[in-house]
Amino acid sequence: MFDFLLETLSVLILLSAFALMANKRISSYIRTFRIQSISIALAAGIMGIQSSQAEGRFDFLIVCLLIVALKVVYIPHLLHKTYANVKYKVEKDFILNIPIMIIICCGLVLFSYFALASIEGLGQGLLNLQFVNSVSVIWIGLFFMISRKKAIGQIIGFLVIENGLYIAAMLSTNGMPLVVDLGIFLDMLTAVMIMGLMVFRINDKFDSIDIDKLNHLKG
Amino acid sequence: MNNLIYIFLQALTILMLAPLVNGLIRKMKAFIQKRQGASIFQMYYDLYKLVRKGSVVSEVSSWIFKATPYIFFASALVAAMLVPVSTIILPKHIPGDFIVLVSVLGLGRFFMMLAALDTASTFGGMGSSREAMVSTLIEPTILVSLFTIGLISQSTSLSQIMLTVQGAGFPLAHPVYIMVFLALLIVIIAESARIPIDDPSTHLELTMIHEAMILEYSGRHLALMEYGAAIKQLVFMTLLVNVLVPHDQIIAFTGFLALFLSLLIYFFKILILTGIIALIEINTVKFRLFSIPNMAAFAFILSFLGILQYFILGGSNV
Repeated sequence: MFDFLLETLSVLILLSAFALMANKRISSYIRTFRIQSISIALAAGIMGIQSSQAEGRFDFLIVCLLIVALKVVYIPHLLHKTYANVKYKVEKDFILNIPIMIIICCGLVLFSYFALASIEGLGQGLLNLQFVNSVSVIWIGLFFMISRKKAIGQIIGFLVIENGLYIAAMLSTNGMPLVVDLGIFLDMLTAVMIMGLMVFRINDKFDSIDIDKLNHLKG
Repeated sequence: MNNLIYIFLQALTILMLAPLVNGLIRKMKAFIQKRQGASIFQMYYDLYKLVRKGSVVSEVSSWIFKATPYIFFASALVAAMLVPVSTIILPKHIPGDFIVLVSVLGLGRFFMMLAALDTASTFGGMGSSREAMVSTLIEPTILVSLFTIGLISQSTSLSQIMLTVQGAGFPLAHPVYIMVFLALLIVIIAESARIPIDDPSTHLELTMIHEAMILEYSGRHLALMEYGAAIKQLVFMTLLVNVLVPHDQIIAFTGFLALFLSLLIYFFKILILTGIIALIEINTVKFRLFSIPNMAAFAFILSFLGILQYFILGGSNV
């Protein structure tokens, strides 16, 4: 039953990465990221219930609460605040058009299936097939970062990569030590705050958050 | 005998229910928007009114214009015969599978597009070209998602698929079925001309697709076209609810009462799906025409990921 739910949630996380790729509006980026984070929090909660029943560990439940507080509430709020201050609401210029990018993403999923098929012991023990979906999310996050030209898109891409890494680690290791989790969250929080601040500054200096304009900084 | 009962039951259910579904969606939308709204039986009244009126046919049009309403309605009805509303009574030999379903619906659509071009009005041509675009983008999604479920049940016959899925426990908890469910939901919205793709309630030239094609029709021809479109919508909804959320396995007994109960549950599922569609219609705005490929690509990738998950997770444990 638990495996069933985790499988479903890992698919939903992958799906939300695709939905993110298909979006154009910055407000829907933030909303999709929030949905993805909710799925991750649910996965953590399910694993928490499982491990508290089996081994009496409660660190997963703490992690679940932290994810809800940080990724579902605080960071989207922070991004909304940044978003309210810049004038770009819709992303118009991509490197490719959206259908082609979605098909490339599908290619990335295929790639990670083939790449991970060579891992010894995949599908047995802890290294299960949900791992493949999580690694695909990392690839899609990377591709999202290079396909968007506005700085908020970059932040979201970074967060999606982080989500993918986190869910991959969580599903394949059956829980990291709590200290490691806390370290990851702290890192991510500072990164997002600094990036949000940078977006402010870039917007102030250049009157736009188009990252192409950063090229003009060269002497 | 079984065949006769099947045909009678299937035709009666679909024909009676199809206009009601439209009315229900409208009523739910009105309810969410805090309007009174028209009665849920409004479409029956409209059809009755249209059938009694004569129809005006342009002098310059050919036989295609007059034949199309009958072809379109017949194709929708044939499609309805292929998707069982209840698996309790099945015919001995089921002629046709989902490939036939898609092609029969394609035939009706082809004639509708021809008829819209036939009168040479500007709206008709515009509507046809848009419909051609949307259907080209959506049809692969239908086929790939149905092939995924077909692979699982080792059959292309829809009733066989339904019987297999009924034995699979609670199917929506499985990744493959989630993907196919979402893909088919987008297909329903696109095929029944609902809001993110097309707006059924306006006659604004910039947005309309389906309405632009049937603009030249009047009287009983219009009635047939609208009835056919409603049937097509219900066929896709039946496909979604009966393939992915099967219900006949929970009825332990057989006989007339079982059939009645099965139809009741079927109606209840359609009601829930109507609510979902009404919610989607309320919560989204109509897309720009050139944003439709994005949504179609997303739907196609959903169905494709479904087939991928099927192979990755190994076909046996689905």
